[in-house]
Amino acid sequence: MKLSIASRYAWRSLLRHRRRTFLSVAGIAIGCAVCLFVVGFVRGEGEMMLRAAAASGAGHLRIAPPGWRETGENRLRLDPWEDLLALAAETPGVTVATPHARAEALLAMGTRTAGVSLVGVDPAREPQANRLVQRVTEGRYLAPGETGTTVIGHALADRLGVGVDDLLMVTTSGQGGEMGSAMLKVVGIVSTGSRLLDDTFCQVSLADVAQLTGYEGVGDITLLVDDPQRRLDAIRQRLAARIGQRAEVLGWQEVVPELAAGTEVDATWSRLIVGVITLVVFFGIASAQLAAALERRREFAVLSALGMKRGRMVGIMLTEGLLLGSIGGLLALLVGASLTYLSATYGIDFSGMYHGADMGISNILIDPIMYSDFGWWLVPLALLLSLGATMLSSLYPAWYAVRTDPAEALRVDQ
Amino acid sequence: MPDDLLIQAEAVTKTYHAGNVAVPALRGVSLTVGAGEFLALVGPSGSGKTTFLNLVGALDTPTSGALTVFGRDVARLGKGERAELRLHALGFVFQAYNLVPVLTARENVEFVLELQGMGAERRTRAEEVLAQLGLVDLADRRPNELSGGQQQRVAVARAVASKPRLVLADEPTANLDGENAETLIELMRTLNREQGITFLFSTHDPRVVRHARRIITLEDGLVARDEPHTPETAHA
Ligand SMILES: Nc1ncnc2c1ncn2[C@@H]1O[C@H](COP(=O)(O)OP(=O)(O)O)[C@@H](O)[C@H]1O
Ligand SMILES: [Mg+2]
Repeated sequence: MKLSIASRYAWRSLLRHRRRTFLSVAGIAIGCAVCLFVVGFVRGEGEMMLRAAAASGAGHLRIAPPGWRETGENRLRLDPWEDLLALAAETPGVTVATPHARAEALLAMGTRTAGVSLVGVDPAREPQANRLVQRVTEGRYLAPGETGTTVIGHALADRLGVGVDDLLMVTTSGQGGEMGSAMLKVVGIVSTGSRLLDDTFCQVSLADVAQLTGYEGVGDITLLVDDPQRRLDAIRQRLAARIGQRAEVLGWQEVVPELAAGTEVDATWSRLIVGVITLVVFFGIASAQLAAALERRREFAVLSALGMKRGRMVGIMLTEGLLLGSIGGLLALLVGASLTYLSATYGIDFSGMYHGADMGISNILIDPIMYSDFGWWLVPLALLLSLGATMLSSLYPAWYAVRTDPAEALRVDQ
Repeated sequence: MPDDLLIQAEAVTKTYHAGNVAVPALRGVSLTVGAGEFLALVGPSGSGKTTFLNLVGALDTPTSGALTVFGRDVARLGKGERAELRLHALGFVFQAYNLVPVLTARENVEFVLELQGMGAERRTRAEEVLAQLGLVDLADRRPNELSGGQQQRVAVARAVASKPRLVLADEPTANLDGENAETLIELMRTLNREQGITFLFSTHDPRVVRHARRIITLEDGLVARDEPHTPETAHA
């Protein structure tokens, strides 16, 4: 391919101050690489939170009775929950639907007591939706159809001093404010990996919650969907349309707002960081390019005298920006993608930051090792950032170039 | 206007404003230049030579009076039209050579042809011109690898490559020593004779002036003398 003289001119103009050009390219590359890394990290964090919420039983979506969102009231019931469960289960994209009934309860063993969030489950469905219940380290999980049994967290068991096959007394406040009590046999102990979660984990059958509280039925249906990154909103809307007024369909962000809030804060920070870095790169390139343009005042005058039109001149200056941006962007991609790839593969360990404490938020177990999101999105973002910053910052020098008055700039005596 | 009149100036004035001070650079210049002329513009420093060349070159517009170049009223042309006129009908040679430093001699010549929209044949044309001016060996050198005289010859090649009817040269030999000045002016004279290109150049240098076929003397922004001249040859 034979390059036009104009593009050779643009390219060699960048080379005439190698150090300045090198610094510009390095600025673009480092700035954009940091942006890529930050964005990759936050995307990865968002995905992890989503996965953590799903795996810890909060699900991707939740069907809740009208009013639950505002009050968080555990006594509200879905009606008719069997229909809603069947409808949810057959909705395309929904992979798991599992019903819950919840109650605050007091567990007692001898003189020891502990407050817990009692969760009534369908033992046949729950393990599909909740990875925590798959971590039964002693005994077994609840069996379908049985009542009067419970699976509790490891830390809770320690605190109460109970083991498998021991009996616990459970007390809740039921309908009309009456106390309901029952004896539960511990059939299994779960080690979630988080002391925080283990300390409050207590699951029983739906029938036991109904019997203890006097409220029959189901308080929510928790759903997992296929490919939540992409399809969550669509599935949610489809489901909401099918359910109508009978219940609300909530996203995980509304179910565990604390979790979503953390991600949202980080996403906001990342946008700020990307914005600031882009701005810094923009001004850096703009001043370097402007310095280059000032030095070439006479040259622009000569080109103008030879008959170069403004459009061409702007084109040359933008080509210089484009070249700077492309090289910087490619380097940024190389560095940023490598960093992102490493942190996507090996993760970044944040456990030290929490001094060994658990990473648990609202009963969601969070892995202290964060994995970035590595993907094709890096390419367009790298080019967008680097080319955006350099092309925009070339506009002012370009304007300066076309504005140069040839007669004035060519005067020898000045 | 007859076809062979390239420049027609009628009471052309140009006044610059330096702050609040009005500087009258041209105070009513009237003259015509026909096709094929080899014309020297002489006069003391500050007499308005550069100003006049800039006006004719459509780099600037007159303050008053009528200036037609190739039958077109320079004052009425927009920026784009003036650029168009320079690109297609005019060639420039500057005192300070003003080659593009990052381009080779050949590329400097090619650049103008490319601006005119010439395609692949521009390289052949550039080499042809460089050959005519005896610059083939220097084609791949950049300006900083050329002597002043060589640079100015490349500048002449750049000015004539697009076959303009008129070449304007503002003190083209001012930075050259006697021998190089002589060579350059003979080169211009040859192009004038063999290709019919009209040259209008300003100069101080008597060795250059003596090659002119007409000499216009400017003094204080006015034409003091305008007389034909019989060029002496270098061997005479
Ligand atoms: N851009 C300008 N601004 C103010 N004064 C100018 C400008 N250009 C030229 N002049 C003045 O106009 C007069 C003519 O200048 P010029 O055409 O350059 O003369 P010459 O080329 O014959 O030396 C001089 O007095 C010069 O100082
Ligand atoms: Mg002058």
